[in-house]
Amino acid sequence: MSAVSTRPGASRIEPILRTIAIVVVTAIVMFPVYWMVVSALRPSDESLSFPPPLLPHALEFSSFGQLFAEKPIAHWLMPSTFVASLTVIGPLILVIPAAYALSRLYWVGRSAFGLMLLFTQMMPGAVVVAPVLMLYRSLGWTDNLWALALLHTAFVVPLCAWVLKTSFDSVPKEIIEAALIDGCDRWKVLWLVLLPLTKPGLVAVSVIAFFASWNEFLFASTLITKNDLYTASLGLATLMTQLDTPLFVLMAAGVTFSILPVFFYMAIQRHLLRGLTAGAVKG
Amino acid sequence: MALAPALSGTATEARRRARARRGVVGSRAFPYLLILPMLALEGALVIYPIIRGALFSLETDTGLGLDNYRTMLADPDFWRMIGHTLVFTLSVDVAILAIGLSLALLMNWSFRGRGLVRSLLTIPWAIPEVPVAITFVLMLDPSFGVFNAFLRLFPGVTENPQWLLDPVLAMVVVIAVTVWKGFPFYSLVLLSALQSVPDELYEAGRIDGAGRFALFRHITLPGIRDTLALLAVLAFIYSTQQFTLIWLITGGGPVDATTTLAPAIYMQAFRFYNFPYAGAIAVVGFVISAVATLVFVAAQRRVETSE
Repeated sequence: MSAVSTRPGASRIEPILRTIAIVVVTAIVMFPVYWMVVSALRPSDESLSFPPPLLPHALEFSSFGQLFAEKPIAHWLMPSTFVASLTVIGPLILVIPAAYALSRLYWVGRSAFGLMLLFTQMMPGAVVVAPVLMLYRSLGWTDNLWALALLHTAFVVPLCAWVLKTSFDSVPKEIIEAALIDGCDRWKVLWLVLLPLTKPGLVAVSVIAFFASWNEFLFASTLITKNDLYTASLGLATLMTQLDTPLFVLMAAGVTFSILPVFFYMAIQRHLLRGLTAGAVKG
Repeated sequence: MALAPALSGTATEARRRARARRGVVGSRAFPYLLILPMLALEGALVIYPIIRGALFSLETDTGLGLDNYRTMLADPDFWRMIGHTLVFTLSVDVAILAIGLSLALLMNWSFRGRGLVRSLLTIPWAIPEVPVAITFVLMLDPSFGVFNAFLRLFPGVTENPQWLLDPVLAMVVVIAVTVWKGFPFYSLVLLSALQSVPDELYEAGRIDGAGRFALFRHITLPGIRDTLALLAVLAFIYSTQQFTLIWLITGGGPVDATTTLAPAIYMQAFRFYNFPYAGAIAVVGFVISAVATLVFVAAQRRVETSE
């Protein structure tokens, strides 16, 4: 993305004013993030005093040690990682062929299928949560991480399909024509031509799917009741309601849980944007 | 360009040969086979539950009927919930677009550290909702929350407000947190829309002697109008879906002051175990979301055709 020239009538003090504004706005926006990290690192009594000091007097990394020693956060990260990993594999298997059909093949019903995907993507989870619980109970699928991953897959697949379709769309037609002339059939075009050219799209889909599952709370809280199957978002929400949890431990848990998504979202920002607006925005 | 017809001719020829070689891959059924697994999953875990929920809503003590809807429409709590949903959704929508656009305008300028600021501003969007809720509950705590310390800096404020116990303040809080968590997405999309407005237009406008406001009004705004409309619909959809932040910060309270659509369905289903009534509200949610999706598709068409 190229640099955009300054706006008209830019005087010499405009850059300074803009810089000040950007610094102030960034500081305000980042304050809760700062507070989250600082509260995790300082002793509880400091957080519980009023007014709480803006700069901590001492930083103690022991809260993280205490977190892993006393609270089952490390244990909760396991089901989260398991479910989120399954929620990457599932969408990839389903979405690669479907995005190919949406992007490169012509068939009756294609736009209807696209519309159906959009409907399911926009559907609030709350609309289906009670019937899903009934269905899962009758199948004996509650307290089952595989079944939770399947549900996460169903809810993230529409978005993933859009992201990958956009990615397939960007491969020039000529390359595919050339492959067809060389004797590839449509299946080989997908595997030998499209997929190797759209690795960033595949990475984006994986990240979206992983963290959609990692962050999900509503379905996890309705379908998982056993403590030892708690995902981290569920465990964290429970920890929040337990009054005996030391504050810095709670905040340390929050920070631990947030590190991975923050890192990955920053890395694939652009692909996420394109996918979330279903290809309507040029990134 | 002259090669194109010849090229596609041979391509069709080759395609026909490939089709003859392989049965399934070349057949008309091939695209349908590709989407079948996905369609099956969506059918089973999204579409079937929607229909099942709608059927729940028709169940009454005396067989099938519209009683649940009659009860719902006569229930003042239902209309209060719709009111809360509208207040929440529209406020989030307006605030998120206003803040998103202001930030995008602020950032639409090349400066040192732009990449860094962009990354930093993405963080709220990336943090999972549960830790966000925990952090804001801590910051708003009436006895030691840091927001009170800021508020006390204003003259006349001598007491810490009960942020989550006051109906109006609680609504302001859930709106603000939702906006804080969501605005980076809107900012980044608007920023890329701003950057796709051609520089030449600004040049031309400047030569014609247009002032700053005139340029914004006649060049910037028309240039991003369609994207803005699309984002407005998207923000509406995402905020009607909002459950986790509201649930964990206020639990829908105090009383029902922050109970919007998603928490209302959840409450009816899992607090009161009234599945038929929950089903009826869910149908309302389905209709709202379906209509919004159609509006989204229309908005998207406009963006695509204008490009």
